[in-house]
Amino acid sequence: MTLKGGATSACAACKYQRRKCIPECLLAPYFPADQTKVFQNAHKLFGVSNIVKILRSLDPSQHAEAMRSIKYQANVRDRFPVYGCLGVIRQLYYQIQMLEEEMHTVLTQLEMYRQHHHHQQQQQQHHQHQHQISSMADDVISQLELGMAPSNNALPLFNQATHQPYTMQNTYSSSDIDSPPKDNVENNSLWIQHLFFDTNNHGTGNNDSPIAIQSQLLVPNSEPLADTQHQVVQDYDEIHPFFDSIDDRQSYIDTKDAEDSSREKCSSEESLKETTQLMVGNVGSKDLKSAAACFSLTSVN
Amino acid sequence: MSSSSYSSSPCAACKFLRRKCMPDCIFAPYFPPEEPQKFANVHKIFGASNVSKLLNEVPTFQREDAVNSLAYEAEARLKDPVYGCVGAISVLQRQVITLQRELDATNANLFRYAYNEMPPLRPPQPAPPSAAGQSSGFCYPYQWNDPSDEDNERSSGGNM
Repeated sequence: MTLKGGATSACAACKYQRRKCIPECLLAPYFPADQTKVFQNAHKLFGVSNIVKILRSLDPSQHAEAMRSIKYQANVRDRFPVYGCLGVIRQLYYQIQMLEEEMHTVLTQLEMYRQHHHHQQQQQQHHQHQHQISSMADDVISQLELGMAPSNNALPLFNQATHQPYTMQNTYSSSDIDSPPKDNVENNSLWIQHLFFDTNNHGTGNNDSPIAIQSQLLVPNSEPLADTQHQVVQDYDEIHPFFDSIDDRQSYIDTKDAEDSSREKCSSEESLKETTQLMVGNVGSKDLKSAAACFSLTSVN
Repeated sequence: MSSSSYSSSPCAACKFLRRKCMPDCIFAPYFPPEEPQKFANVHKIFGASNVSKLLNEVPTFQREDAVNSLAYEAEARLKDPVYGCVGAISVLQRQVITLQRELDATNANLFRYAYNEMPPLRPPQPAPPSAAGQSSGFCYPYQWNDPSDEDNERSSGGNM
């Protein structure tokens, strides 16, 4: 029996069972009168007695959660009569498996790119270092041939030389990827490879194409440049004492004409005097003169 | 309890219910006598009559799957009277969300690294489970907790 004109209407459970819904009705809070379908699903799967049995075996504080799970389970069973919640669980397991496989693939790809990028960086450093060494060696050789001592401002020459390839790469990284630099042939060939792979990406949508080629073109190396410069400075310092140990006046004199050589002799003699005066402390004048005579073609006396 | 000489031993359902196992017993193919606990669990949670009605509504070739799913749900409900098998669904759903989030972050990291815009980032920490309007923090994959609208749509005048 349902209450007519009462303040509170019977719950869906009592309405279905056609009985008076008492205030102490256990199912009333969870099956309002407007949710008849939900109750029907729960009743169809569990039955009222079994639901009440479950609720009575639990603490009252757990009733709400238990009823939510019961209603959910019943609704899923209504939607999927054969598999019910087990079908949902299997579907979730499958979803998790797919996600894990995809994650594994992505991580593998990421690791591949990292290794390739690291390897490419090492190669670039090596090439840069070789280029700098070779250019430095060329510079030294040319200076040796000319019989000139390296000036103090030779370091900026190295800086300028090493900056150029760096700037070119930097320009390439900052510029539009479709407009490669025209000066560097190596970058041009890599850019062509990049276009090829990029086309493949757009055509097939395949994520496995090695777009790591792109990464190796876009890395400006500032730290390796600094290290190389430092090493260049060290090499330069090592070479500099070499020039101190030889008397380049001799070679210079041999290559020049007689008039020029005589003028140079006088000037070099004077400079040598100044140098010896500065360097020697307790040597007597006689000794100085004899020492000077050893070095000059003309005697001082 | 009697059994004919031509019929095999009664099924687990008929043994439990202490009744004669007829040849056309609906439970016999799916509740063998060697597995008595299976029917006991199903009967305790759902009831034999409800199971019988459910099996009658399902095609014959799918009844075995239906029985197995019911047996699974019954066992889960016995182990966890509050959440039953829905607890496993909630855990798996959270796992899916976490994995999806990690995958999205890793994909973004891969994209950034491949184009070398920024160095690879650390993977995000798993986010705490969101309680989105649910007091217990229980995550239901389907919005069927209070389907008032769905109930109005699907109800076909079931008032008695």
